[in-house]
Amino acid sequence: METRPSELAVAPVEAGGHPPEWALSPHPPLVDGEKSLHQVTEDVVSPLERFPGPAWYAGFLLSAAAFLLGVILVTHEIWTGIGTWGLNTTVGWGWDITNFVFWIGIGHAGTLISAILFLFRQRWRTAVNRAAEAMTLFAVMCAGVFPLIHMGRPWLAYWVFPYPNHRGPLWVNFRSPLLWDVFAISTYFLVSATFWYLGLLPDLASVRDRCKPGLRRTIFQLASLGWSGSGRTWARYETVYLLLAGLATPLVFSVHTIVSFDFATSIVPGWHTTIFPPYFVCGAIFSGLAMVLTLMIVARKVMRFEAYITTRHLDALSRLVLLTSCIVTLAYLTEFFMAWYSANPYERFAFLNRAAGPYGWAFAIMIACNVAVPQLLWFRGIRTSPALLFPISILINLGMWFERFVIITTSLHRDYLPSSWSLYAPTYVEVGTFVGSFGLFFTCFFLFCRFVPMIAASEIKGVLHDGRTPGPAAPPH
Amino acid sequence: MNRYPEFKKDMKTLETEDARDGIRRRQFLEILASSFTAMSLSGCGFRPPKEKIIPYLEQPEDVLPGVAQGYASTCGCCPAACGMLVKCRDGRPIKLEGNPQHPLSHGGLCARGHAGLLDLYDSERLRGPLAHGLPSSWPLVDAEILRQLAGIREQNGPIRILSRTVTSPTLRQAIAEFSRVFPTTRHVTSDPVSSSAILEAHRRTHGERALPGYRFERAKVIVSFDADFLGTWISPVEFTRGWAQGRRLGLERSTVSWHVQCEARQSLTGGNADLRIPIRPSDLLAAVLDLGSRVARRLRFESGEKLLASGEPSAIPPETLDRIAERLVDHLGRSLVVSGSNDLDVQLAVNFINHLLNNYGNTLDLSQPSLQQEGNDEAWDALVSDMEEAKVSALILLDANPAYEHPRREAFRRGLAKVRLTLSLAPRKDETASLVGFVCPDHHFLESWGDAHPHLGVYSTAQPAVAPLFNTRAATESLLTWSGIPSTAYDFLRKYWRENLFPRQKRWEDFEAFWDNALHEGVTLIEEERLKPAAFNLQAMADLRPIRPPVAAGELELVVHPGIPLGDGRQANNPWLQELPDPITKVTWGNVASLSAASARSLGVVEGRIVEIAAGDRAVRLPVHIQPGMPPNVVAIALGYGRWAAGKIAANEPIRKMLPIERESPGGEDLYPFLGTPSVRITPTGQMAALAKTQTYDYQAPPGNGRPRPLAREATPEQAVPEAGPQPPGHSEDPAEGPALWPAHEYPGHRWAMAIDLNACTGCSACVVACQAENNIPVVGKAEIRKKRDMHWIRIDRYYSGSESNPEENPSVSFQPLLCQHCENAPCETVCPVLATLHSSEGLNMQVYNRCVGTRYCANNCPYKTRRFNWFDYAHNDLLQNLALNPDVTVRTRGIMEKCSFCAQRIAEAKARARSEGRRVVDGEVQPACVQSCPSAALVFGDIRDPRSRVARAATSGRAYALLSEVGTKPSITYLARVRDRGV
Amino acid sequence: MMAERLAPPPRRIKLLVGVFEQETGLLAAARAAREQNLPVYDAYTPYAVHGLDAAMGLPRTRLPTVCFFCGLAGLAAALAFQLWTATSNWPMNVGGKPFHSLPALVPVSFETAVLLASLATVLAFFLRARLWPGRSPVSLANGVTDDRFVLALGPAVTFDPRAGEVLRQHGAVEIREIEAAP
Repeated sequence: METRPSELAVAPVEAGGHPPEWALSPHPPLVDGEKSLHQVTEDVVSPLERFPGPAWYAGFLLSAAAFLLGVILVTHEIWTGIGTWGLNTTVGWGWDITNFVFWIGIGHAGTLISAILFLFRQRWRTAVNRAAEAMTLFAVMCAGVFPLIHMGRPWLAYWVFPYPNHRGPLWVNFRSPLLWDVFAISTYFLVSATFWYLGLLPDLASVRDRCKPGLRRTIFQLASLGWSGSGRTWARYETVYLLLAGLATPLVFSVHTIVSFDFATSIVPGWHTTIFPPYFVCGAIFSGLAMVLTLMIVARKVMRFEAYITTRHLDALSRLVLLTSCIVTLAYLTEFFMAWYSANPYERFAFLNRAAGPYGWAFAIMIACNVAVPQLLWFRGIRTSPALLFPISILINLGMWFERFVIITTSLHRDYLPSSWSLYAPTYVEVGTFVGSFGLFFTCFFLFCRFVPMIAASEIKGVLHDGRTPGPAAPPH
Repeated sequence: MNRYPEFKKDMKTLETEDARDGIRRRQFLEILASSFTAMSLSGCGFRPPKEKIIPYLEQPEDVLPGVAQGYASTCGCCPAACGMLVKCRDGRPIKLEGNPQHPLSHGGLCARGHAGLLDLYDSERLRGPLAHGLPSSWPLVDAEILRQLAGIREQNGPIRILSRTVTSPTLRQAIAEFSRVFPTTRHVTSDPVSSSAILEAHRRTHGERALPGYRFERAKVIVSFDADFLGTWISPVEFTRGWAQGRRLGLERSTVSWHVQCEARQSLTGGNADLRIPIRPSDLLAAVLDLGSRVARRLRFESGEKLLASGEPSAIPPETLDRIAERLVDHLGRSLVVSGSNDLDVQLAVNFINHLLNNYGNTLDLSQPSLQQEGNDEAWDALVSDMEEAKVSALILLDANPAYEHPRREAFRRGLAKVRLTLSLAPRKDETASLVGFVCPDHHFLESWGDAHPHLGVYSTAQPAVAPLFNTRAATESLLTWSGIPSTAYDFLRKYWRENLFPRQKRWEDFEAFWDNALHEGVTLIEEERLKPAAFNLQAMADLRPIRPPVAAGELELVVHPGIPLGDGRQANNPWLQELPDPITKVTWGNVASLSAASARSLGVVEGRIVEIAAGDRAVRLPVHIQPGMPPNVVAIALGYGRWAAGKIAANEPIRKMLPIERESPGGEDLYPFLGTPSVRITPTGQMAALAKTQTYDYQAPPGNGRPRPLAREATPEQAVPEAGPQPPGHSEDPAEGPALWPAHEYPGHRWAMAIDLNACTGCSACVVACQAENNIPVVGKAEIRKKRDMHWIRIDRYYSGSESNPEENPSVSFQPLLCQHCENAPCETVCPVLATLHSSEGLNMQVYNRCVGTRYCANNCPYKTRRFNWFDYAHNDLLQNLALNPDVTVRTRGIMEKCSFCAQRIAEAKARARSEGRRVVDGEVQPACVQSCPSAALVFGDIRDPRSRVARAATSGRAYALLSEVGTKPSITYLARVRDRGV
Repeated sequence: MMAERLAPPPRRIKLLVGVFEQETGLLAAARAAREQNLPVYDAYTPYAVHGLDAAMGLPRTRLPTVCFFCGLAGLAAALAFQLWTATSNWPMNVGGKPFHSLPALVPVSFETAVLLASLATVLAFFLRARLWPGRSPVSLANGVTDDRFVLALGPAVTFDPRAGEVLRQHGAVEIREIEAAP
């Protein structure tokens, strides 16, 4: 049945009462193929019960190899010194912090989809939220690695936590944006992980109940915390879920705001900008959604989830991507306008140099990928075509990586004193470490696909028609 | 052993490096052996000399372990023989500083002098005498030498002693003693960078083969023809002092000297000139003659005008020359014309101009001449031909390395093979010492007793600050031993002073008191018979030869000059100097072929292109450096590099390979074969080499929008007067003066601050090395510099005026020393997550090394980019060189940030001393290493809360400004704008 | 009224369990049981059935209160701690800024508040819903986590004929008496 996909995005707002949603909804089902409740369980859980196919093994081994490469290079770097990277006195941050911001940005879509779309009652999120949240966790893990290994002495990284110590009164600097980062990112990771795990509980119980007694069952038994689907628990569960969504929403905004403070509160021309918080948050969501698109397009194909992650989902995601792209474009323009309008010579030069300096090519890639390419999404044909969306989403990810590179490198390499100007190029260690972070991300993602229900079955069931055929005595409420 | 806990680690490093770098086993054992030597030295070897030496400030009974002592001594790095204080801790010298009481150097010491300390701890010095290249013992070597000398004496065989200028009267006396025993001995003096023409010119014009004393402080107009007197010429510290004194702008003074530099290369001195005129070397004589004739015309001295009129048009515009002549004539007796050329005609003409201007006896002192350059080129030429003709039986190389430092070194080598007895007193197996029969290594000057006689009437002493590290012997002692007068250098020195100097003074009745005072002060003024130069001999001018024809087409004129970091190359194995950026080119670890942009374009080369420079059958390959301010068709290259037998550093072997994929390229080429060659062919090769520069963008104006940033500010003389005027330049648009957003912190006690007078700073870079020595700053090597990872805490920024788009104009050069500005609102402090950088209650921006985790955020947020990060565990694995480390300063590990601390250890020391004496720290008592070292006293340090302190007064000057004050950092460093009088 | 505020149920209780295939049946049965004053022990569903809490007559949960106060506590603690370290325990001149530079303390305070609120709420939920590792689930019928809806009436309803009738009337496919450990 072909309907206008846009109608999907707007689910009926529930009024004060509780009419069953299905009864009122004039909209097409969120899941194709008239699935029964059991069919959903079967579809979601059975991939975990089979041995994975060769594609999974190939992907997993490739990711693990990339991860191993990263581990080796990071070991080399920690063993020998940060000098194995291409940084210098002038450019103190390069690919390390670029990758950090890139991954943190990717990590924003998961919580956005989980929490914000939940609060906005965007029911279509149910098919993608579990994977998006997992993606968030893995991306934040990747992101967390970079501030750690970019330290000159990473073995002392625990010094960033304010713990009582015997060095006299010796605390951390609560004025430093890097310290805010520590709090923001650890909070974000913990809350996202909790949120994800909370959503996972009913599905873990589903898996548990399908297991034969044995190790596997014991593991799922422990992991599902004795979930029994009790109505009393469900009631509290929904409250907690709502509360967490409410808390995670400002958290999402705060995290990238604080990441942007790393730059915005500094005095480096090109960084010292008040527009950074909203600009960064939008950029993060932009890149995160693009990454969700990339992963979903692959996953729905490989895991045969086309019925759950429909082209209508891709369409809805694409619309969000287009929206955030436009906001990011506006931010770019605003930055240049403000640099000109401020009449601050250092600021003006920073932006002139950004566009036309030695790293102008990176700027061009950024503009092409983040401003020009997403304009294709105005066309519905492109929005609903996985084959076309896939390269676009990859390009957006590339462009967003370059955005961070451009902001960090072009601002640092030529700042106040021309005597200190220099260029920066990464070494093989940095490139390999970046590849390794992708290895970590995909290794985790492959394991996730293999061991955890990838779609929130219990939430999908809640939006099915099955199970809701009016019974003999269904009194109106 | 446990004094060096890093020993174990070093062994480990060596082992791993062994595997990585493919060091052969034997090489490893050598290193091991040298390390053990160092260990045994550290255990028992470091002791004061046996003889009585007098501490500079404290009496011996006050000597406390852990408390530094200063011994007055004399710098032995070059014949300028500046006065020096050796700072010793626990029996080992750790820092060299200028002796403020020295009448010539006035407390200044140049970069090379500062680096002399590290030469002491050079593990590649010889550890004992060599006979025919093999280690031997002193008795064996002496017996063999004596046997051969006796044989030569019997046959009346000529003996020659070859040396650079010997400033030590005692050593000269020892040579005389030797000559008495071996009457066929003759002493030949030859300097690598010779001033022979100046001496010869004065012999012709004034009848005395002498180098006049130059009194730059008395000159109101200075015209220099290719004399780099602030950088490398004769006695740069002395001249810098004098020059800066003549330019010092005080509250009471508004006029400064006017300095014109006509030169072929862009030199440090040219960068400091008010007016710099680029001319080619072939135009030099014509320009001097032209100026001379114009001066003569203005003085209505027609015969003189005729003498100088060459008829050749000069390369300098006549109106410019006229203005210069006008100013010169306006300052008769208060002007000075100098030339660094070793061309006799030029020097004769210069003498004549100075004579016309009545400068002799005023700014030029021939009655008390300088003895710092005595090399005689004719004598050297005669020696070499004698050697080639096998007319020399024995050659004693006393502090000379002619197989490297002379253009005719091939002839010397050929001749050397025909000399029966060849022996060298070089402290290392250098280029010449590896060719001779016997090497009898001399002490390092910090190990030996000695003296110096730099100017007539000025005698300074050199005390050993440490017992000899190796089995070496003082040159005096060696000569005396062979002369059959067994005496220690100490006894002989005392004998000389007792017999020759003590009687000539009246102040002391007792020799011991006189001697103690001489050692304590380091310098003694003795009344000596003045030279009585004859009247100017106009006849000498008649010999002026016609001007040389211009250079052959297709060739470039060559300027080979000593560079600021290495000078003539005798200290080439010194890592501090190798890593010191040349103040003009900013290149480290090697020399480059400097070309003007126009020449480069016509050759079709860009910066970094390797070109072949050839003349006759000699050729070297060097990378191109585009140098603004060079005249077209000239190539300038520094001397002193490319030494093949000076050691691993000079050969630029990797200090430590940091990355397996990194390769070092050899640094620098040897240009001595080209010294004196007027022109060369230049052919581009297909190769490129990235220059190891510490500054890669040269203009204050960024590319594109062209408006210069007000960094190293300049003012005209009119703007600078009155000094404390109501409208200070550069202060008007300072938003930092507006209302503050929050209340400032209180500074109840001292508040340390610095003022840097850009008008006095010449960019000589002495402070850079002084800081490196004081603060244990590691050397990082060429590959790291190329990545812009230099570690210097103070650097000299050099800007050209104008913009990048016009590199062909003759720019004026600005130098700006840049160190941590110790901002009141320090941006670095706010961003450190672990509070590793904080503000002290005395206004210091402190870096807490052991708290730093290395996020580098502080460095990113520093607008001055003065913070330095330890990218690696920088090599401190030469255990011998580690003895130069200052125990008061932490050696930083890798992964942490470091930067200038205003020499916090010196502040602490001064405060402790003041407290123990129950007083406040007085102004000038605290001198950070850079301030102490500055030959021109451009840096002033003190308590800015004390309104009478020099730094507080400097901050009220009309020329005062804070760098990047618009950022709101409120730096503790005040810069005083430079005053430049373009004049023409 | 049948809230968990009552005394804990006896060690083993007898329940009358009806298994439904549709949430509608479950909801209707639950409402009908309550109308007839039959105690509803609990319901078990594969997903969160809307209106079930009302149908079962569950009181509002107090978890939002926990959330609010824990968040407040986190905020206050973080602010107090930061101010204490910066002004009293270890006052340091950092970048010339005053010791008590409040705007700089906002991010950490906010994050701590969110962290404490989230974790405390979830922890309270786990404790209140008696969920922890090692706890075995209440299992009254197969397929509760798949596609079955279970309504358990009790305690003390097994002898009440109305109970079975209510279940049967609303389409229970299976009715059983079960002894359950609470």
